[in-house]
Amino acid sequence: MISEQREKKEKLHRGAFYYPRIYRMIITQDIKSKMHYRADFYISTIGMLATNIAGFISFWLIFQSFPSINGWTYYEMLFLYAFSLLALTPVQLFFDNNWALRFNVYSGDFVKYCFRPLNLFFYYISETIDIKGAGQLVFGAGTLVYAWHHLGLEVSVRSMALLIVALTSASLVMIAMMNAAAATCFWVINSGTVMVFLFRFKDYAKYPMTIYNIGFQIVFSILIPIGFIAYYPSLIYLRAQDVSILTYLSPVIAVLFYYGSYKLWIRGAMKYSGTGS
Amino acid sequence: MGSVIELENITKVFRVLNRHAGLKGTFTDLFSRDYKNLVAVDHVSMSIEEGEMVGYLGPNGAGKSTTIKIMTGILEPTEGKLLVNGRVPYANRTLNAQNIGVVFGQRSQLWWSLPVIESFRILKEMYCIPDKVYKNNMEMFDELVGVSELYNKPVRQMSLGQRTLCDILAAFLHDPNVVFLDEPTIGLDVSMKSKIRELISVLNREKKTTVVLTTHDMGDVEALCRRIMIIDHGKLIYDNNIQQLKQFFGSYRTLKILPAGNVSFSEADLAKYGRQLLVLCPETRNVVFGSDEEWLTVLVPEDEISLIKVLEHMQTLIPFRDVRIEEITTESVIRKIYEGTSDAKPTLEAGHGE
Repeated sequence: MISEQREKKEKLHRGAFYYPRIYRMIITQDIKSKMHYRADFYISTIGMLATNIAGFISFWLIFQSFPSINGWTYYEMLFLYAFSLLALTPVQLFFDNNWALRFNVYSGDFVKYCFRPLNLFFYYISETIDIKGAGQLVFGAGTLVYAWHHLGLEVSVRSMALLIVALTSASLVMIAMMNAAAATCFWVINSGTVMVFLFRFKDYAKYPMTIYNIGFQIVFSILIPIGFIAYYPSLIYLRAQDVSILTYLSPVIAVLFYYGSYKLWIRGAMKYSGTGS
Repeated sequence: MGSVIELENITKVFRVLNRHAGLKGTFTDLFSRDYKNLVAVDHVSMSIEEGEMVGYLGPNGAGKSTTIKIMTGILEPTEGKLLVNGRVPYANRTLNAQNIGVVFGQRSQLWWSLPVIESFRILKEMYCIPDKVYKNNMEMFDELVGVSELYNKPVRQMSLGQRTLCDILAAFLHDPNVVFLDEPTIGLDVSMKSKIRELISVLNREKKTTVVLTTHDMGDVEALCRRIMIIDHGKLIYDNNIQQLKQFFGSYRTLKILPAGNVSFSEADLAKYGRQLLVLCPETRNVVFGSDEEWLTVLVPEDEISLIKVLEHMQTLIPFRDVRIEEITTESVIRKIYEGTSDAKPTLEAGHGE
């Protein structure tokens, strides 16, 4: 007979460095095994660079015909563009396995992630790193420095610290969007469409929100929060006089979005694992 | 020695949408609140002692996987109490996972593109396995199955047998108290099957690890388990030792005959064969005739009459092109047990009316 149930949460004592240690190990191995396919690595890196350069060229061409868009100058737009590239890098680099989630779920392989003694989301996401995202990081950083310099923005401890906070929150928003989109596969069959659809929207992040009508501004601030990827954080540097309340709230909003998407993901995973064999 | 796994009246009910047919049905389903309850596991109680090896059998969809998922902490039961290693699994999924090992059929849990040894090293960190334990286990594994030459091969390039072997070793690597093996020999050739059975048997004995084995292969059961549990329609219908179970299946085999020319297998014909055979040999009164596509099947109770005798007599009755001899399947054992117990306990029958 089971006399008393111990339902209270017990903790595993594995030290503060448990997760970083596991992460480093898995990622090192993943990179090692990817290096076996050198051609694949080079081609995808070149592809990534080409995409970025093409994006940049079309951007540059637009500004050959128009001196400014809705009052935003070339360098200001470049700043937004670079900022969005940087903010999109973490999702590319570290959360790439979300793209494979639906295949794992439909094939039933997903259940294998549930038997390990660590956080399910962490374990799943840690499995792959997409190193070609590093190229985007370099490209984005270079462009940002260039725009920063031409805009004559201040270089100080304060502005750098702000930049880090702003970039982190912006990345979190993007990660949250992709987490939530990937998690839809636990409920619907056609989740690939949802992911591609949301991922496309990132392209609208590099423009100032003011060029969209009020309807889209609301959508991009609340429903598909791409406004937080570049526009709202950048206001601090570019339009200090009309910084929106949303700019100051963006770290909080980013954390909330991220936490919500994480909860949704875990909830879906636990719901899914129960069904099927 | 105490119980490692204890289940008390565990019930799991899934709420599923009642789907409607056709295009109109699809639209109705979008807004439908019409759910039905599906009882996957129905008041199952069991107690498994430390070091036991238990065969957990049942037809597909009987509730095996659901029970295993409840025991591994992935699934919360709707009702009932359970303890695994003295803890409630679903309230402590990660802590529970630290003390169990799981092999899920053909789904390798090792990193697909990594050499096995790298997977093992990651597992060592993941389960915080002390150096000494890790070293001892690796030496033991190598002694048992000589896998060290496999260590540098990526899992992706392995044969199914090699992969299963490595998956089983990985499940035992962190010295868990309980290991769940879900159809570990599925799809393997005879020699690999026996190698894997030997490995499981030694690991269970040497490490005193409790093993819960689900399988459809009666060979696995006979080679490994002293105790058998059978689940059907979510209910535990049998929990006893293998000797008891053998009473149900040990003495039966099926003779399959492919007749030459066109032979019909109508009820009347089958009955006719039965009568003719009975004339030739009176011991065949419990032989059961049936058909399976173009094959005539003859279920032979071998403690009454030998299968060879039946074959001899059948040859005089009808000309045939081919014969096959089949061991009785788990499914038919379960069916027999179900029929057997339902006489004694009519309540079992009542539970699953659709």
